[in-house]
Amino acid sequence: MAYHSFLLEPISCHAWNKDRTQIALCPNNHEVHIYRKDGAKWSKIHELKEHNGQVTGIDWAPESNRLVTCGTDRNAYVWTLKGNVWKPTLVILRINRAARCVKWSPKENKFAVGSGSRLISICYFEQENDWWVCKHIKKPIRSTVLSLDWHPNNVLLAAGSCDFKCRIFSAYIKEVEERPSPTPWGSKMPFGELMFESSSSCGWVHSICFSASGARVAWVSHDSTLCLADANKKMAVASLCTETLPLLAVTFITENSLVAAGHDCCPMLFTYEEGQGVLTFRGKLDVPKQSSQRGLTARERFQNLDKKASSDTTNATLDTLHKNSISQISVLAGGKANCSQFCTTGMDGGMSIWDVKSLESALKDLKIK
Amino acid sequence: DPRRTGDALRAFHAAIRSYPVNSKNPAVKEQAQGTMLKVLTSFKSSEIEQAVNSLDRNGVDLLMKYIYKGFEKPTENSSAILLQWHEKALAVGGLGSIVRVLTARKTL
Repeated sequence: MAYHSFLLEPISCHAWNKDRTQIALCPNNHEVHIYRKDGAKWSKIHELKEHNGQVTGIDWAPESNRLVTCGTDRNAYVWTLKGNVWKPTLVILRINRAARCVKWSPKENKFAVGSGSRLISICYFEQENDWWVCKHIKKPIRSTVLSLDWHPNNVLLAAGSCDFKCRIFSAYIKEVEERPSPTPWGSKMPFGELMFESSSSCGWVHSICFSASGARVAWVSHDSTLCLADANKKMAVASLCTETLPLLAVTFITENSLVAAGHDCCPMLFTYEEGQGVLTFRGKLDVPKQSSQRGLTARERFQNLDKKASSDTTNATLDTLHKNSISQISVLAGGKANCSQFCTTGMDGGMSIWDVKSLESALKDLKIK
Repeated sequence: DPRRTGDALRAFHAAIRSYPVNSKNPAVKEQAQGTMLKVLTSFKSSEIEQAVNSLDRNGVDLLMKYIYKGFEKPTENSSAILLQWHEKALAVGGLGSIVRVLTARKTL
């Protein structure tokens, strides 16, 4: 595990470039800072200042190398690198509330923005007018869209919302793509078509993720549950009530394994067993070093008794790498089918890179397949 | 007396199974809560852990909801026994079970 403390405040969101040498992040303000890896250090090389409100989402398109950002100022910008300067292009989202999340589509010819306006803006470039335009997906979303993820076919889009539901929509834009072929989620995919809607959980859906094949979608909600819908099982939903505090981010690392993290400040492994349709918690991936238990002196005992009304020797500090909630997970290497490395950022201003092979060996009997 | 313990455990499982999930009638819910509270307070401290371990995940979540409902209207001795149930239920259900008490839409 490599942990780097970037800030003393939360990292609002982050995105990596294609070869993972640069990371773009929002340092809890209206800007985006880009850092480049210089050996063991990180050097800030760019500051992108255009938003008038907190930047809530960043995505970095690997092939075209364009950045898209969105913020509470109800705007999104597409950034292109011209020489050594990032040039922004405003995209009118036609929303009247904060934008909350943004994702490039797999082919990078569209991007989706979730917002507090209870809709999703699907944006694409219109050649004739040299301008980004957007179409809205509204029905039947009833509250803020907190998270988005694209299906590999570039058309289907999963959205997690504060109305407690996970939904999959078609974001087919005839101007930029061919008609999609049928998928296990359905065959008719006109723009805005609702392909799947989960029954209500009892919590805001913080994060949502398609598996690499697109046949499964998983989401985490504020009622401390993890759910997974399997299109190959007639969209049956498996859910797991966890023993942890709510999870804020989730990603597939293989077709059957997921890593999720949240207010417990540590990534956790879950697996899905297709036959029984069951999700299982496999363990915390942050194994703290065993600190030597030294005895308390009489003085310390008395102080504890005075301060905390208990002479308990247990440590009240966090053993985990991250010292505050983890708010985002990104896959660095191997893709969602065979992830070998992933990254977490959190409210402690830190960024950590996790190596799956070392995690496997650190946790006995843990096989990630 | 194992017979008495057996009775308490049976009453406990019966109360858990018969929770009025879809009822919108406050009187029905009030009665279920009253019954559950009676059952919970009839347990000896040493018997609580076994009872909690006999529940599945949904049962533990439901028990936690009843415990907090019981905290809302404390009677003379109820809080003490409920706190013991809380400790044991927390050990099995974790903080997640408490989170689900807070986020539940269908309240008890």
